[in-house]
Amino acid sequence: MYAQPVNKVPTRNPLLKLKMACKANVYALCVVARFSAAIVGGYIFTAVFTSLLSLILPLKKSDAVLLSISLTILVYSCVFIWAFAVKSLKTIWITILLTSSACGLSIALLKGWL
Amino acid sequence: MKESFFRSMTWMHTWVGLLVCWLLYLIFFAGTISFFRDEVTLWNQPALHSIQAPQERIAQQREQIIAGVDYLKATAPESGRWGIYLPTEREPQLNYAYEKPRPEGKRFGGWQDHYINPTTGDSLQQPRETKGGNFFYRLHFDLHYIDVRTARWIVCFASLFMLVALISGVVIHKRIFKDMFSFRKNKGSRSWLDGHNVSSVLALPFHIMITYTGLITLIFMLFPYPAMTAYDDGVRGLFNDVTPTNVRTKSSDVAAPLTPIDSVLDQIYTNWPNADLTRFSIKDPNKTSATITVRASTGTLVRDQTPTMLFNGVDGSLIAKSVDEYSSTEVFYDSLTALHTGRLANPLLRWLYFLCGIAGCIMIATGCIMWAKRIRERMKKDQKASFGLKLVEGLNLATLMGLPLATCAFFIANRLLPLSLTQRADKEILAFFIAWLAVALFSLFKRAKMQWYLLAWVNAVACISVPLINALTTKGNIVSYLLNSQWALFSFDLVCLVCALLFALQAKKLRTQLHTPTPTTRSNHVTKNSLVEQKA
Repeated sequence: MYAQPVNKVPTRNPLLKLKMACKANVYALCVVARFSAAIVGGYIFTAVFTSLLSLILPLKKSDAVLLSISLTILVYSCVFIWAFAVKSLKTIWITILLTSSACGLSIALLKGWL
Repeated sequence: MKESFFRSMTWMHTWVGLLVCWLLYLIFFAGTISFFRDEVTLWNQPALHSIQAPQERIAQQREQIIAGVDYLKATAPESGRWGIYLPTEREPQLNYAYEKPRPEGKRFGGWQDHYINPTTGDSLQQPRETKGGNFFYRLHFDLHYIDVRTARWIVCFASLFMLVALISGVVIHKRIFKDMFSFRKNKGSRSWLDGHNVSSVLALPFHIMITYTGLITLIFMLFPYPAMTAYDDGVRGLFNDVTPTNVRTKSSDVAAPLTPIDSVLDQIYTNWPNADLTRFSIKDPNKTSATITVRASTGTLVRDQTPTMLFNGVDGSLIAKSVDEYSSTEVFYDSLTALHTGRLANPLLRWLYFLCGIAGCIMIATGCIMWAKRIRERMKKDQKASFGLKLVEGLNLATLMGLPLATCAFFIANRLLPLSLTQRADKEILAFFIAWLAVALFSLFKRAKMQWYLLAWVNAVACISVPLINALTTKGNIVSYLLNSQWALFSFDLVCLVCALLFALQAKKLRTQLHTPTPTTRSNHVTKNSLVEQKA
């Protein structure tokens, strides 16, 4: 439950610092990093994914929107939990950013923004 | 891999729960009271206590509307809005309200109410200024003293954490069925864990339902993106599409006589025979832009959108009418909101909602107490408590024991504050927060078992004084409510008494612990005691 002593190795790179801190089990930092990945990453993915869903569901427009809106919370909580189940933070961010941009791109194509 | 998954889920459950448990406790507590919002408002308005529930409520509605429009025509011809609120099963009074003149820059001036006893037709004395159950309803998702939008975002994220904690809680719970029936008493943090499990598992479907649907009620703020993608004008476009009565009209200043109400009523009753109307409101009466909106009750249907009709107020023609048949998606979406608000509930179901809400409060309370207990038990004898532990213990005491006291203070203030006080409703709310602040300051000072014991007594006294002060300051009391079968008021007083009893039991239990000579207090407030904390 408690943080263990940290081996202090000086480094400038903040990313590396974060990684090392996690390795050294600085608890608070780990918690913050996980939560931000889950909250922010989950939010981004859910927003883009459900927006795409509202366009591609084979239903009347209002029905498609209402259905995808009703499913947002389900999607968000699944991503949230997944972000805690995966070991490396990097994997989480890469997966989220890739899938979100893929969804975003499809929306842009469907709406003819490009 | 599997073991590490379990470990990460346990880790997450602890953190997600701990971060927001006090806020969640407030949300659940206020939400649980809000299931009885109308009843609490009724209790807070002694002027309405004398009303007997009318025999033929629905049959009288037509005359009530006609009389209401006549009254408002004579009283407030210049007002921007009229509202006729018809008696419902839970709200016995008839209300003819009109909008007070708008202050500079405001879009709404507030309602001037005029309450009427529907059985006798007499107007009732000016009701006292109070928010009643609406205070708890608003507190439940708007919090208080902070910007509404910010508050809703905070509440949304707390609820999201709750949902995640619920799901991970099920995952980490390997013996979910067996634990449903096990409660090991007097076993330190083990007992708290059992209490946590029992309260969570017994009402698990409710917890998941209420959290998910709660998030759905605020979904257009949290995730407007699907609507923004599909519609050019975003959420408004969606609303206009699904609710045909969502028509905006520009106000005009040109005077025009109001259409005969009889013809409008005829149209309503041909469209909806046997309708149970709840509200008849007129915007811009006596102007060319006048519109009439009529709403009917959804009854016990799992449906949140009220059936609505919109009429032109000058020629009496029907402008729009809500859809009668929903598509399956609309039914799905709408029923989620309906399940959350529980307006559909008959008294028995309402009590079930209430009990499940209390189970949720117990779940949260036992969870946060357990965290502190565990850390304490693991500590070595001479080790000093860390700041984090002290903070958690302080917040536990301040929230779990502070909220019931604050609630009692709110109701006592309702009865004791002078009626002529300016901004009386706000003063009642101030009493709520001052009482809570007092407990918080008290727990800043010390939060040992002794403080729990003292606060348990304070709470017991506060709970018992609510029905006592009610009996002394109004005409009714718990016995007369029982004799006159005024069940809402009777139950309110009864719940207060039950809470007082439970707090007294908690105090007694804590007292025996305080006097046990063994210094290794493997403590055990019984979970029943946390039952206490919720009801108030």
